[in-house]
Amino acid sequence: MIGVGKIKPYTNVLDRPLSKGKQEVSLSAFAFLFSELVQYNQTQVDNIAELERRLEDAGYAVGARVLELLCHREKGNRRETRLLGILSFIHSTVWKVLFGKVADSLEKGTEHEDEYMISEKELLVNRFISIPKDMGAFNCGAFVAGIVKGVLDNAGFPAVVTAHFVPVDGQQRPRTTILIKFAEEVLQREARLG
Amino acid sequence: MIVCLAVVGHQNNPLYIQSFTEADDALKLHHMVHCSVDVIDERVDNPKKSGPTINETFLGLLCPTENYKVYGYLTNTKVKFILVTTDLDVRDADMRTFFRRFHAAYVDAVSNPFHVPGKKITSKTFAERVATIVKSFGLTTTG
Repeated sequence: MIGVGKIKPYTNVLDRPLSKGKQEVSLSAFAFLFSELVQYNQTQVDNIAELERRLEDAGYAVGARVLELLCHREKGNRRETRLLGILSFIHSTVWKVLFGKVADSLEKGTEHEDEYMISEKELLVNRFISIPKDMGAFNCGAFVAGIVKGVLDNAGFPAVVTAHFVPVDGQQRPRTTILIKFAEEVLQREARLG
Repeated sequence: MIVCLAVVGHQNNPLYIQSFTEADDALKLHHMVHCSVDVIDERVDNPKKSGPTINETFLGLLCPTENYKVYGYLTNTKVKFILVTTDLDVRDADMRTFFRRFHAAYVDAVSNPFHVPGKKITSKTFAERVATIVKSFGLTTTG
């Protein structure tokens, strides 16, 4: 045989060494899995609020584990004790690990002291989802809101986290905003720490 | 010689306790672990008294008792690792390495989707990994 190049001399596929694998999961695989998750939960509940809550609970479990994993892997010996610290951790590190890029923006709410918003032009989980008109304001980003809630709760910053659509003038699809409302004790602790 | 390892959750509930001696003083060790949880709480809640490094994970020597030393480590989720050892001259760096490996084993145990956070860690793999880490630690410091 001419010009075959280097062939590994493994006749049996079981003898080949295991590859370390890529650190990424294919988007289509995740999209299928997520759509199944939403469909399964839809058969179990009667109304939208319950569906949102279930997605949020699913995300909460993910958030708790992601926090443990990332703090061990990336942060080394530091703990986050400040509000801005944990928010920027979520906005950059968590987003980068989960979605491959940092979130689009992190803003402080103007009306209330305890509100912060992370916005994204198009959430990865919503990429292949369109909400039917009769579901109103339901947003599958509730899963991502659950992840953020899991991270915040387990880091000691209890908060209420929700996902909203915010229509933007130039685009067809609305922007998604994750609204984070911290509990009273977090603000008091923050004020005490100065 | 490490005699006892404990993982305590953020509501001070025990998640994993393991003693590595054959002696009967397991109860005394558990009691010591319990007291050290208080020491950790006091250090964490008084940021002014404990100095600039309040968000270090490794807390160092908590309280030296008669023939034991107790070391503490606090993760980002307020989960505490407590280590009781009879060695009198362990280096700080060794302790940090040990806790880093222990933290890695803990993260793997918690990432299990069937693990309920707040309940005890019942994974056999975790127990085996911890036993390996303790054994290798014993060999490097006394060898």
